[in-house]
Amino acid sequence: MSGAADRVLSILLLGLAAFIAVQASQLDVPFSYDPVGPKAFPMLLSGILALLSVILFFRPGQGGKWPRGALLLRLLGVLVLLGLYAWFFTLAGYLITTAITVAVLAWLFNSGPAKAVISGVLLSIGSYLLFTFALGITLPWGAWLTSLA
Amino acid sequence: MWDFLFQGFAVAVSPLNIALVMGGALLGTLFGALPGIGPINGIAILMPLAYTLGLPPESALILLAGIYCGSEYGGRMSSILLNVPGDAGAVMTTLDGYPLAQKGLAGPALGMSAIASFVGSTLAIIGLTLFAPLLAMVAVKFGPAEFFALMIFAFASMSAMMGKDPLKTLIGAILGIIIATVGVDSGTGVLRFTFDMPELYDGIDFVVLIIGMFAISEILLMLEHSFDKSSDKGMAPIGRVMVSMKEVMSCKWSMLRSGVIGFVIGVLPGTGASVASAVAYTTEKRIVDKEDTFGTGDMRGLAAPEAANNAAAAGSFVPMLTLGIPGSGTTAILLGALMLYNIQPGPMMFSEQPVIVGGLIASLYLGNLVLLALNLPLAGVFARVLTVPKWILVPCIAVLAFVGVFQLHSDLHAIYLMLIIGVFGYLLRKFGFSLAPIVLGFVLGGLMEQNLRRALAISGGESGILWESALSIGLWIAAIIVMVAPWLLGRFKSKAVAAK
Repeated sequence: MSGAADRVLSILLLGLAAFIAVQASQLDVPFSYDPVGPKAFPMLLSGILALLSVILFFRPGQGGKWPRGALLLRLLGVLVLLGLYAWFFTLAGYLITTAITVAVLAWLFNSGPAKAVISGVLLSIGSYLLFTFALGITLPWGAWLTSLA
Repeated sequence: MWDFLFQGFAVAVSPLNIALVMGGALLGTLFGALPGIGPINGIAILMPLAYTLGLPPESALILLAGIYCGSEYGGRMSSILLNVPGDAGAVMTTLDGYPLAQKGLAGPALGMSAIASFVGSTLAIIGLTLFAPLLAMVAVKFGPAEFFALMIFAFASMSAMMGKDPLKTLIGAILGIIIATVGVDSGTGVLRFTFDMPELYDGIDFVVLIIGMFAISEILLMLEHSFDKSSDKGMAPIGRVMVSMKEVMSCKWSMLRSGVIGFVIGVLPGTGASVASAVAYTTEKRIVDKEDTFGTGDMRGLAAPEAANNAAAAGSFVPMLTLGIPGSGTTAILLGALMLYNIQPGPMMFSEQPVIVGGLIASLYLGNLVLLALNLPLAGVFARVLTVPKWILVPCIAVLAFVGVFQLHSDLHAIYLMLIIGVFGYLLRKFGFSLAPIVLGFVLGGLMEQNLRRALAISGGESGILWESALSIGLWIAAIIVMVAPWLLGRFKSKAVAAK
């Protein structure tokens, strides 16, 4: 089993090298004083990457432990949460999205429900004041407020 | 030749810059002390906020350098008290630091390591002041071909010295260079790897890359660690942070030797604190460890790596300021930060930007004094930070990352890109990559291509120009030696073992 992950990785990297080579070969420069042009350097990189990934395939290192089960679910949960945070950041505004994200994130890190809610509310208000008044950063109030006005 | 230093002190003692030195030292110590957050993560997370303050470049650099040096001081706390190194540079500190804490000597251990850090830093800052202008004078003679060879040398020495896996270090560096090719090609105006997305025309933004790689991937890794209950360890009681003169004197030679080793290794491009502390520790073990007490709580075994990693941090400024080649992952971030101000560090910095170079170096002297004051009597206060639970720490990192990227771009695409890069960074770390080579590759990639193309434009496409001058031949040979030497030594050793 050891090294299997690195073998998969080496194949992916080889694919990336091929992809770069194909993309770079399609770059067209009508005319240039530059004897090298934009193609050569990516081609060189793709060649080195291909060589290194072949070496990796034949001499893979020890693989680490990959997340599975409940941990994998939680990792995906954090990612979805951060994605939603970004999605609603300007729509719902900083205060609301931050409070909810912080609360859920704290809960995912085993804070327990009460501490999660309290930290969400305090951190969003506290950080808003800090960013706005101490650092002069403009943070979004949310599209829903502007549509009300 | 050292006029820049007087100008520098004039800059550094302005009230704003003194406040920034102190603030940077404080923030850095705090971030270094936070469990799991090393210097490189600390700088990555705080860099965008340093911009919002609208500081002039020298002041921003002074703040960031203060954070850098501060986090090298702070990083020792979790090594000593919890046996958890904050980053690779603090690994060796755990070897004797944690046994000392277990013996009930946490207070003296914190005190000794603060003094060792101070001695190492001071030596290295003096070294930086003396040698950097000399190196810059040599570096002025570098043409594009020499710079290209120098970068090859930087990557070679990095892959030979850094991390357990040289192959993955090299792959990481190549990936970093590849990421740097995204965007408009400066030579011809052709769009490369942008896939018709206007957001990518200017290339992958440095801040977005750094925050994604270090902050977002760190959050995911922390979730894994919090799942692993066995990693929860109790903190040793600290007691009073003090150290006797006798103990300091018993370590003086270890500190001085390790400081010099740390500085020299820090100066080598591509190798930083982690290598320096490892080399210093093994050297001291060989020289002074007569009773075989290293690893069981020997003060000298604690002083050596701490002096070395702080010296390496200051030493890594030498190649960054004189050649524009960062000496470590963290200085790669500082270099990127300077480039955001449209300042390209290089040999001309000393003559053209004396305010920035001098201000930075002078602020390192001041910051080091502030840090000693912060870390000796107040170490116990900072150590409390270690007990901050993950459920407070992680949301704070997430909010800082989002606001940091948002205030620079006011654009949600940048935030999505940051998340994607975060997942990518997390996967790479799971595959056993370290992130520093990728950052180094990203920062140097553009320069590397520019210098290669400039050299070939001069020669009309003739590749011989790359190894024409004595200087570039020397650099190529040096690159080959650092790559091949460890491998040869390894073979030699295993043959010797087999012969026995």
